[in-house]
Amino acid sequence: MPGGREILAYSDAVIGPDRSVLDRARLDLAGAVGPKAVPAAAAIAGNFTKNDRIANGIGIPSELPMLRNSRDIRAELGINEFRSAANTRKHYPDEF
Amino acid sequence: MTLYSDSEYPVRQEIDALHAVQLDQLADPGAWGTGRQRLAVAGECRRACYDAGILEEPEDAGPPSEIELPDAVRGMIRKLAVTPKDYLEESYREATAGGLSDEEYVEIVGIVSRLTDMDIFARGIGVPLRPLPAARDGLPTRVRPKTARKELAWVPTVPNHPEGGEDAAGMFGESYKPYIIRSLSLVPDEFRRHFELEETHYLSVRNVTTEDHRDYDGFTRAQVELVAGRVSALNECFY
Repeated sequence: MPGGREILAYSDAVIGPDRSVLDRARLDLAGAVGPKAVPAAAAIAGNFTKNDRIANGIGIPSELPMLRNSRDIRAELGINEFRSAANTRKHYPDEF
Repeated sequence: MTLYSDSEYPVRQEIDALHAVQLDQLADPGAWGTGRQRLAVAGECRRACYDAGILEEPEDAGPPSEIELPDAVRGMIRKLAVTPKDYLEESYREATAGGLSDEEYVEIVGIVSRLTDMDIFARGIGVPLRPLPAARDGLPTRVRPKTARKELAWVPTVPNHPEGGEDAAGMFGESYKPYIIRSLSLVPDEFRRHFELEETHYLSVRNVTTEDHRDYDGFTRAQVELVAGRVSALNECFY
Protein backbone atom coordinates (compact mmCIF):
# COMPACT_ATOMS: atom_id res chain seq x y z
CA MET A 1 0.00 0.00 0.00
CA PRO A 2 1.41 3.46 -0.85
CA GLY A 3 2.62 5.08 2.36
CA GLY A 4 1.72 2.03 4.45
CA ARG A 5 4.73 2.31 6.75
CA GLU A 6 4.17 6.03 7.30
CA ILE A 7 0.43 5.53 7.93
CA LEU A 8 1.12 2.91 10.60
CA ALA A 9 3.76 5.09 12.26
CA TYR A 10 1.39 8.05 12.30
CA SER A 11 -1.47 5.92 13.68
CA ASP A 12 0.75 4.73 16.53
CA ALA A 13 2.03 8.23 17.27
CA VAL A 14 -1.25 10.13 17.17
CA ILE A 15 -2.59 8.22 20.18
CA GLY A 16 0.84 7.79 21.77
CA PRO A 17 2.60 9.84 24.46
CA ASP A 18 5.58 11.28 22.56
CA ARG A 19 4.75 14.54 20.80
CA SER A 20 8.09 14.70 19.00
CA VAL A 21 7.48 11.25 17.49
CA LEU A 22 4.06 12.45 16.31
CA ASP A 23 5.52 15.62 14.80
CA ARG A 24 8.04 13.52 12.83
CA ALA A 25 5.38 10.99 11.79
CA ARG A 26 3.10 13.78 10.56
CA LEU A 27 5.83 15.19 8.32
CA ASP A 28 6.70 11.71 7.04
CA LEU A 29 3.04 11.00 6.23
CA ALA A 30 2.64 14.28 4.35
CA GLY A 31 5.86 13.57 2.46
CA ALA A 32 4.90 10.02 1.50
CA VAL A 33 1.18 10.37 0.74
CA GLY A 34 0.62 14.13 0.43
CA PRO A 35 -0.54 16.95 2.72
CA LYS A 36 -4.23 16.00 2.41
CA ALA A 37 -3.42 12.66 4.02
CA VAL A 38 -2.69 14.30 7.39
CA PRO A 39 -6.19 15.65 8.19
CA ALA A 40 -7.71 12.51 6.64
CA ALA A 41 -5.67 10.20 8.88
CA ALA A 42 -6.30 12.46 11.90
CA ALA A 43 -10.05 12.34 11.28
CA ILE A 44 -10.07 8.54 11.00
CA ALA A 45 -7.87 8.13 14.09
CA GLY A 46 -10.19 10.47 16.01
CA ASN A 47 -13.29 8.67 14.81
CA PHE A 48 -12.03 5.28 15.91
CA THR A 49 -10.78 6.53 19.26
CA LYS A 50 -14.41 7.63 19.69
CA ASN A 51 -15.87 4.33 18.56
CA ASP A 52 -13.46 2.27 20.68
CA ARG A 53 -14.48 4.22 23.79
CA ILE A 54 -18.17 3.95 22.96
CA ALA A 55 -17.96 0.20 22.28
CA ASN A 56 -15.91 -0.58 25.39
CA GLY A 57 -17.81 1.95 27.53
CA ILE A 58 -21.28 0.69 26.62
CA GLY A 59 -20.31 -3.00 26.58
CA ILE A 60 -21.74 -3.83 23.19
CA PRO A 61 -21.17 -7.28 21.66
CA SER A 62 -20.05 -7.84 18.08
CA GLU A 63 -22.78 -8.90 15.67
CA LEU A 64 -23.07 -12.62 14.97
CA PRO A 65 -22.39 -12.45 11.20
CA MET A 66 -19.19 -10.49 11.87
CA LEU A 67 -18.11 -13.04 14.47
CA ARG A 68 -18.72 -15.95 12.13
CA ASN A 69 -16.77 -14.30 9.31
CA SER A 70 -13.81 -13.41 11.50
CA ARG A 71 -13.06 -16.60 13.43
CA ASP A 72 -9.71 -17.32 11.71
CA ILE A 73 -8.37 -13.78 11.65
CA ARG A 74 -9.37 -13.14 15.26
CA ALA A 75 -7.39 -16.17 16.35
CA GLU A 76 -4.43 -15.32 14.12
CA LEU A 77 -4.16 -11.72 15.35
CA GLY A 78 -4.87 -12.44 19.02
CA ILE A 79 -8.01 -10.29 19.03
CA ASN A 80 -9.84 -12.86 21.17
CA GLU A 81 -7.39 -12.02 23.95
CA PHE A 82 -8.48 -8.37 24.19
CA ARG A 83 -10.16 -7.74 27.55
CA SER A 84 -13.15 -6.19 25.77
CA ALA A 85 -13.82 -9.57 24.08
CA ALA A 86 -15.64 -10.44 27.32
CA ASN A 87 -18.59 -8.29 26.18
CA THR A 88 -19.09 -10.58 23.18
CA ARG A 89 -17.94 -13.90 24.68
CA LYS A 90 -20.61 -13.81 27.39
CA HIS A 91 -23.36 -13.73 24.74
CA TYR A 92 -21.76 -15.95 22.07
CA PRO A 93 -19.32 -18.33 23.81
CA ASP A 94 -19.51 -20.89 20.98
CA GLU A 95 -18.06 -18.42 18.49
CA PHE A 96 -14.65 -18.34 20.23
CA MET B 1 -11.78 32.77 10.72
CA THR B 2 -12.66 29.09 11.10
CA LEU B 3 -11.93 26.69 13.96
CA TYR B 4 -8.83 25.20 12.33
CA SER B 5 -7.66 28.20 10.29
CA ASP B 6 -4.25 27.88 11.99
CA SER B 7 -3.71 24.39 10.53
CA GLU B 8 -0.85 23.93 8.07
CA TYR B 9 -2.89 21.16 6.45
CA PRO B 10 -6.17 21.56 4.53
CA VAL B 11 -9.10 20.69 6.81
CA ARG B 12 -12.42 19.86 5.17
CA GLN B 13 -15.00 22.56 5.75
CA GLU B 14 -17.59 20.11 7.10
CA ILE B 15 -15.18 18.80 9.76
CA ASP B 16 -14.21 22.33 10.77
CA ALA B 17 -17.84 23.42 11.04
CA LEU B 18 -19.00 20.30 12.89
CA HIS B 19 -16.26 20.53 15.52
CA ALA B 20 -17.06 24.20 16.10
CA VAL B 21 -20.71 23.31 16.73
CA GLN B 22 -20.06 20.21 18.85
CA LEU B 23 -17.47 21.88 21.09
CA ASP B 24 -19.82 24.81 21.66
CA GLN B 25 -22.76 22.48 22.42
CA LEU B 26 -20.89 21.12 25.44
CA ALA B 27 -21.83 24.38 27.19
CA ASP B 28 -25.57 23.75 26.80
CA PRO B 29 -27.71 21.61 29.08
CA GLY B 30 -27.93 18.10 27.66
CA ALA B 31 -30.51 15.40 28.25
CA TRP B 32 -29.33 14.57 31.78
CA GLY B 33 -26.55 17.00 32.67
CA THR B 34 -26.44 20.78 32.98
CA GLY B 35 -23.97 22.80 30.95
CA ARG B 36 -21.72 23.09 34.02
CA GLN B 37 -21.81 19.34 34.60
CA ARG B 38 -21.11 18.54 30.96
CA LEU B 39 -18.14 20.91 30.90
CA ALA B 40 -16.87 19.39 34.15
CA VAL B 41 -16.93 16.01 32.39
CA ALA B 42 -15.06 17.48 29.42
CA GLY B 43 -12.51 19.16 31.68
CA GLU B 44 -11.87 15.95 33.64
CA CYS B 45 -11.48 14.02 30.39
CA ARG B 46 -8.81 16.44 29.20
CA ARG B 47 -7.00 16.58 32.56
CA ALA B 48 -6.75 12.78 32.57
CA CYS B 49 -5.21 12.87 29.10
CA TYR B 50 -2.75 15.64 30.08
CA ASP B 51 -1.74 13.61 33.14
CA ALA B 52 -1.19 10.53 30.98
CA GLY B 53 0.82 12.52 28.43
CA ILE B 54 -1.44 11.66 25.50
CA LEU B 55 -2.68 15.24 25.01
CA GLU B 56 -0.84 18.51 25.53
CA GLU B 57 -2.52 21.23 27.62
CA PRO B 58 -3.10 24.33 25.48
CA GLU B 59 -2.31 27.86 26.67
CA ASP B 60 -6.00 28.70 26.38
CA ALA B 61 -8.06 25.75 27.62
CA GLY B 62 -11.14 27.87 28.30
CA PRO B 63 -12.72 28.75 31.66
CA PRO B 64 -12.01 26.36 34.57
CA SER B 65 -14.79 24.03 35.67
CA GLU B 66 -17.18 25.53 38.18
CA ILE B 67 -18.11 22.26 39.86
CA GLU B 68 -16.40 19.17 41.30
CA LEU B 69 -17.52 15.76 40.10
CA PRO B 70 -18.08 12.80 42.45
CA ASP B 71 -15.12 10.40 42.73
CA ALA B 72 -16.98 7.55 41.01
CA VAL B 73 -17.70 9.76 38.01
CA ARG B 74 -14.14 11.11 37.85
CA GLY B 75 -12.81 7.55 37.99
CA MET B 76 -14.89 6.31 35.08
CA ILE B 77 -14.09 9.36 32.97
CA ARG B 78 -10.36 9.01 33.56
CA LYS B 79 -10.29 5.29 32.76
CA LEU B 80 -12.42 5.62 29.63
CA ALA B 81 -10.44 8.62 28.39
CA VAL B 82 -6.98 7.13 28.86
CA THR B 83 -7.16 3.32 28.89
CA PRO B 84 -10.30 2.17 27.05
CA LYS B 85 -8.74 -1.29 26.70
CA ASP B 86 -9.04 -1.75 30.47
CA TYR B 87 -12.62 -0.53 30.65
CA LEU B 88 -14.70 -3.52 31.76
CA GLU B 89 -18.17 -4.25 33.05
CA GLU B 90 -16.88 -3.67 36.62
CA SER B 91 -16.06 -0.09 35.58
CA TYR B 92 -19.67 0.44 34.54
CA ARG B 93 -20.97 -1.24 37.72
CA GLU B 94 -18.75 0.99 39.90
CA ALA B 95 -20.00 4.13 38.13
CA THR B 96 -23.66 3.27 38.53
CA ALA B 97 -23.13 2.05 42.12
CA GLY B 98 -21.59 5.48 42.71
CA GLY B 99 -24.91 7.12 41.88
CA LEU B 100 -25.06 7.54 38.10
CA SER B 101 -28.25 6.50 36.30
CA ASP B 102 -27.90 4.63 33.01
CA GLU B 103 -29.03 7.75 31.17
CA GLU B 104 -26.41 9.95 32.87
CA TYR B 105 -23.78 7.28 32.26
CA VAL B 106 -24.53 7.14 28.51
CA GLU B 107 -24.36 10.93 28.22
CA ILE B 108 -20.94 10.93 29.91
CA VAL B 109 -19.64 8.13 27.65
CA GLY B 110 -20.81 10.18 24.68
CA ILE B 111 -19.11 13.38 25.84
CA VAL B 112 -15.81 11.66 26.65
CA SER B 113 -15.77 9.74 23.37
CA ARG B 114 -16.68 12.71 21.17
CA LEU B 115 -14.28 15.10 22.86
CA THR B 116 -11.45 12.58 22.57
CA ASP B 117 -12.26 12.27 18.88
CA MET B 118 -12.02 16.03 18.30
CA ASP B 119 -8.92 16.41 20.50
CA ILE B 120 -7.08 13.59 18.74
CA PHE B 121 -7.94 15.28 15.45
CA ALA B 122 -6.47 18.61 16.62
CA ARG B 123 -3.34 16.90 17.93
CA GLY B 124 -3.14 14.89 14.74
CA ILE B 125 -3.01 17.94 12.50
CA GLY B 126 -0.58 19.69 14.85
CA VAL B 127 -2.70 22.49 16.35
CA PRO B 128 -3.37 23.16 20.07
CA LEU B 129 -6.59 21.80 21.54
CA ARG B 130 -9.40 24.26 21.05
CA PRO B 131 -10.65 26.03 24.22
CA LEU B 132 -13.78 24.73 25.93
CA PRO B 133 -16.66 27.24 26.12
CA ALA B 134 -18.22 28.84 29.20
CA ALA B 135 -21.30 27.06 30.55
CA ARG B 136 -24.75 28.32 29.65
CA ASP B 137 -27.71 28.19 32.01
CA GLY B 138 -30.70 25.90 31.58
CA LEU B 139 -32.13 22.59 32.64
CA PRO B 140 -31.58 19.14 31.06
CA THR B 141 -34.37 17.95 28.77
CA ARG B 142 -34.58 14.49 30.44
CA VAL B 143 -35.69 12.93 27.16
CA ARG B 144 -35.68 9.13 27.28
CA PRO B 145 -36.90 7.05 24.31
CA LYS B 146 -39.98 5.03 25.28
CA THR B 147 -38.82 1.95 23.37
CA ALA B 148 -35.34 1.75 24.96
CA ARG B 149 -34.87 -1.59 26.66
CA LYS B 150 -32.18 -3.97 27.80
CA GLU B 151 -30.72 -5.82 24.82
CA LEU B 152 -27.15 -7.16 24.89
CA ALA B 153 -25.26 -4.02 25.99
CA TRP B 154 -24.79 -3.03 29.65
CA VAL B 155 -27.28 -0.19 29.29
CA PRO B 156 -30.68 -0.05 27.55
CA THR B 157 -30.66 0.68 23.82
CA VAL B 158 -33.35 1.41 21.24
CA PRO B 159 -33.89 -1.83 19.26
CA ASN B 160 -33.81 -1.90 15.49
CA HIS B 161 -37.04 -1.23 13.63
CA PRO B 162 -39.79 -2.47 13.91
CA GLU B 163 -39.26 -3.27 17.64
CA GLY B 164 -37.82 0.19 18.17
CA GLY B 165 -40.90 1.82 16.65
CA GLU B 166 -40.86 5.55 15.98
CA ASP B 167 -37.78 6.05 18.16
CA ALA B 168 -35.77 3.73 15.91
CA ALA B 169 -37.25 5.08 12.68
CA GLY B 170 -36.52 8.65 13.75
CA MET B 171 -32.95 8.02 14.86
CA PHE B 172 -31.56 5.39 12.53
CA GLY B 173 -34.22 4.52 9.98
CA GLU B 174 -36.00 1.28 9.27
CA SER B 175 -33.07 -0.83 8.11
CA TYR B 176 -30.95 -2.95 10.46
CA LYS B 177 -28.20 -1.04 12.29
CA PRO B 178 -25.34 -2.65 14.24
CA TYR B 179 -24.73 -1.97 17.91
CA ILE B 180 -22.00 0.59 17.31
CA ILE B 181 -24.56 2.84 15.64
CA ARG B 182 -27.29 2.26 18.27
CA SER B 183 -25.00 2.21 21.32
CA LEU B 184 -25.87 5.72 22.63
CA SER B 185 -29.54 5.61 21.63
CA LEU B 186 -30.72 5.81 25.26
CA VAL B 187 -29.76 9.49 24.94
CA PRO B 188 -30.91 10.55 21.46
CA ASP B 189 -28.86 13.78 21.43
CA GLU B 190 -25.67 11.82 22.07
CA PHE B 191 -26.63 9.30 19.40
CA ARG B 192 -27.10 12.11 16.87
CA ARG B 193 -23.79 13.80 17.66
CA HIS B 194 -21.89 10.50 17.54
CA PHE B 195 -23.54 9.75 14.20
CA GLU B 196 -22.71 13.21 12.81
CA LEU B 197 -19.04 12.67 13.61
CA GLU B 198 -19.17 9.16 12.17
CA GLU B 199 -20.57 10.34 8.86
CA THR B 200 -18.24 13.35 8.63
CA HIS B 201 -14.98 11.73 9.76
CA TYR B 202 -15.35 8.23 8.37
CA LEU B 203 -18.04 7.68 5.75
CA SER B 204 -21.75 7.48 5.33
CA VAL B 205 -23.25 4.28 6.72
CA ARG B 206 -24.77 3.48 3.31
CA ASN B 207 -21.24 3.28 1.85
CA VAL B 208 -19.57 1.17 4.53
CA THR B 209 -19.84 -2.06 2.56
CA THR B 210 -18.73 -0.50 -0.75
CA GLU B 211 -15.09 -1.56 -0.76
CA ASP B 212 -13.73 1.09 -3.10
CA HIS B 213 -15.87 3.96 -1.79
CA ARG B 214 -13.68 7.01 -1.27
CA ASP B 215 -14.61 9.93 0.95
CA TYR B 216 -11.18 11.58 1.08
CA ASP B 217 -9.34 13.19 -1.76
CA GLY B 218 -5.75 11.96 -1.46
CA PHE B 219 -6.48 9.05 0.89
CA THR B 220 -7.88 5.74 -0.36
CA ARG B 221 -10.41 3.49 1.39
CA ALA B 222 -7.63 0.97 2.06
CA GLN B 223 -5.52 3.68 3.71
CA VAL B 224 -8.54 4.76 5.77
CA GLU B 225 -9.08 1.20 6.99
CA LEU B 226 -5.39 0.82 7.86
CA VAL B 227 -5.62 3.76 10.27
CA ALA B 228 -8.95 2.51 11.66
CA GLY B 229 -7.66 -1.01 12.24
CA ARG B 230 -4.38 0.08 13.79
CA VAL B 231 -5.96 2.55 16.22
CA SER B 232 -8.62 0.05 17.28
CA ALA B 233 -6.00 -2.66 17.77
CA LEU B 234 -3.93 -0.35 19.98
CA ASN B 235 -7.07 0.47 21.98
CA GLU B 236 -7.81 -3.29 22.14
CA CYS B 237 -11.35 -2.81 20.95
CA PHE B 238 -12.79 -6.26 20.18
CA TYR B 239 -15.84 -4.78 18.51
